Amino acid sequence: MSKRILCSFAAGLMLAVVASAQTAGKPAMPGLEATVTKVERAATASLRDCPPGSNTVNATTRPGEQFALVTVAFKVASSFQPAPMKRPTITDASDKKFNTAATFVDVGKVPEFSCTFPFRVPEGTRLKALQIENTAYDLTSLDSK
Amino acid sequence: MEIDRRAFIASLGGAAAVNLMDHEAKAEALEHYMEEKLDEMVAAQQPEKFPTVAEIEAQIETRNVRRGVGGLFAGRAGANVQKLPPMPAQPTLKDFFELRFAPANHVLQSATRAMKTGMSEEVTLACLLHDCVLSLIKPDHGWWGAQLFEPYIPEKSAFAIRYHQTLRFYADDDAGYEYPDQYYRIFGHDYTPPAYIEQTYKMLKNHKWYMEPRLVTVNDLYAFDPNAKVSFEPFQDIVGRHFKQPKEGLGFDNSPSAHMWRTLARPDQPL
Repeated sequence: MSKRILCSFAAGLMLAVVASAQTAGKPAMPGLEATVTKVERAATASLRDCPPGSNTVNATTRPGEQFALVTVAFKVASSFQPAPMKRPTITDASDKKFNTAATFVDVGKVPEFSCTFPFRVPEGTRLKALQIENTAYDLTSLDSK
Repeated sequence: MEIDRRAFIASLGGAAAVNLMDHEAKAEALEHYMEEKLDEMVAAQQPEKFPTVAEIEAQIETRNVRRGVGGLFAGRAGANVQKLPPMPAQPTLKDFFELRFAPANHVLQSATRAMKTGMSEEVTLACLLHDCVLSLIKPDHGWWGAQLFEPYIPEKSAFAIRYHQTLRFYADDDAGYEYPDQYYRIFGHDYTPPAYIEQTYKMLKNHKWYMEPRLVTVNDLYAFDPNAKVSFEPFQDIVGRHFKQPKEGLGFDNSPSAHMWRTLARPDQPL
């Protein structure tokens, strides 16, 4: 039994490696604080806007790819002025940029929310930073690949 | 691994049943329960197994209607069709939304998202209309949809409706469009688009209006939220500015697509 538990657990880990440390909160734009809380790897990703709704569509990786799922917690201050925001991007160790399909929609409608941004990357890509508007968030401490 | 104590006890038949078990039986039951839960956790992380094209084709003769039949012409999930409310004498686009396309949740969500993300009125209108023709017919819905609306809307919106069908098959990382898993599910994971779609895609890649249908696909992808609350009202102004409502009513203005509107209005006509 315990061997089976270990095998199952290891398989789970292979599919989604989670690092749960947190980076410090920084303003992504005036009145909007963002904290990267988690970096995971997965074969599929839920396609939801930020703040998230209940969209039922997922994306699936092709061979040799994986999704880097970067979860960010947001806090909206009363000083926040809603304005169109660019989609976040990530960079790898060689500063290659990757896009996400997830878009900011209606930021500010709730005071606190958490979004998971999926980035399609080659398997094993080491992540360096997340970029939201003009602010970069370090991912190296959270990304155990 | 965290164990939900209540769920565990319930799985054994409740507290009374647990009280009758000796320590060894309880330990064994717990071990069995954890084993099952771990298997469930691992299974939940496995990617969904999508059908093949051959498996989907093998389902054809299990149905009494073809997959391409318009939504108005078949009951939902095999149920009988319902009697439709009558249309006004001079029906407007809003009348069709309320009486024939309803609930139209998907297109309303898509257009709402386009509006909230600051897209042009032509693109927002295209998002609002892009799948309405599915009430009439499903195969090649981009071309059918564009034909239905073409006499009444800006050229760019008709272009976006016509070609969103093609671009749905091709991911665009820069634009934020992923190939959706629902397409693996409905077309098969080994599906390749037919030659005319590939040729259309090649044409579109170099077209100055590429982004119009592309933006429809981006909003299309994110408009399958069962909990979204949407309505036609926010689009009244855009429709008023860009949809040339015929005074005779849709279906009676002798336009090239008038017959399609009449068919939508009266889908129970035998001939």
